[in-house]
Amino acid sequence: MTIVSGSGVKRLLPAVLGLMLAIAAASFIALADAKAQPASQPDASSGSGATLADDEFSRQLNDLKRSFGEVGKQIESGTQAIDKLKSPEEGRKGIVELRQQVSKLLGTVADNGEVARLGRMALDRADQKLKSLAEDTRFRPEEREYLVQRWRDLRASTASAIKELDVARRDFAELLRTLQTSEDYIDELLQIREHEKALDVIHNLTSGIRDASDKLKRLLGGLRPPTA
Amino acid sequence: MMRAARTLLGLSLALLAGSCNDGFGYIELKTVPASARNAALYIDDQRLDTPSDGVAVLRQPAGTRKLQSTPAGSTLCDIVVRKDRITTVTVSVLERPPRCQCARPKSGDPQGRRICLG
Repeated sequence: MTIVSGSGVKRLLPAVLGLMLAIAAASFIALADAKAQPASQPDASSGSGATLADDEFSRQLNDLKRSFGEVGKQIESGTQAIDKLKSPEEGRKGIVELRQQVSKLLGTVADNGEVARLGRMALDRADQKLKSLAEDTRFRPEEREYLVQRWRDLRASTASAIKELDVARRDFAELLRTLQTSEDYIDELLQIREHEKALDVIHNLTSGIRDASDKLKRLLGGLRPPTA
Repeated sequence: MMRAARTLLGLSLALLAGSCNDGFGYIELKTVPASARNAALYIDDQRLDTPSDGVAVLRQPAGTRKLQSTPAGSTLCDIVVRKDRITTVTVSVLERPPRCQCARPKSGDPQGRRICLG
C-alpha cells in the first residue's frame, strides 16, 4: 500500500483534475454525437417515421446509384448497336428500346416518386430540428451550437443530393424527349420513303445519347447520400 | 360450351396482355411564371405540389389525364400519357382560369377541347 504525503497530494491534484476534465469532455462529445445521429436515435419531437425517412432516403440513393450504373451500361451498348445499323427500321426499334431504358431512369427520379418524397421529408425534418433546437433551453450554448452545426451539415448534404436528383430529372426528361422526337421524325421520313435521311437522323442521334451517357457517369460520381 | 370457354380465355388473355402493355409515361408540367409558388393544380382531382423551379416531371399510368385548377372543377386540358413517352404542358397560372399550352397539341377536336399529346 502506498501512502501519499501532503506534498504528494498537491503534486497529484492537477493530474487528477485534468483526468476528470478529459473524462467529462469525452462524455459530452459522445452524448452530443449520439444526439446528432439522426439514423440511430428515435426523435420524440418529430417521430420515428421521420428518422426512418432519413435512412430510407440514403438507402434509396445508394440503390439509385447502382441502378443508374446498370442502365447506363445498357444505354451504351444499345447506342453502339444503333451506330452500326444499316436499316432505319432496325434503328427505330433500337431507339424504342433505349426509350424504355431512359424511361426507367426517369421513373426513379420523378417528382412524384418515392426518392423525391423521402428527400423532401428528410429536408423538412432537418428544418424542424433546427427550429426546435433554436427554442430549446435544455442544453448549454456550446452543446446547442454543436447540435445545430451537425444538423446544418446534414441539411446541406440532403439539399445537395436533392439538387443532383433535380439535374438528373431534367437530363433524363430531355433525353426521353429527344428520343421520342427523333423516333417520330424517323416515322415521318419512312412514310415518305426517305430511308437515307432516316438513317442519318439515327446516326446523329447516337452522339446526343453519348453526351447523356457521360452526364449519367458524372451524376454517379457526384451523387452522395446525405451525412452530417 | 368448349368454344365459349375458349373465347372467354382468349378474351381474358388479350385483356391481360393489354393491361401489361399500358405501362407508365410522364407529364412534364411547366408553370409560368416559375415564381408562382402557390398556384393550385390538380391532375384527376389529385393536388400537385407546386414545383420550386416551375417544372415538375410526374410519372403517370398511360391514358388520358385531366388537368384542373380546382378539384372536380372544369378541365383546363386533357393530357394524353403514352408508355415511356413524355407529354410536355406549360400552364400560364396568372391567367384566370389558368391556360394550358401543349408542346404537341391535338388538332381538330370536335368538342373544341385542348388536348396535349406525348
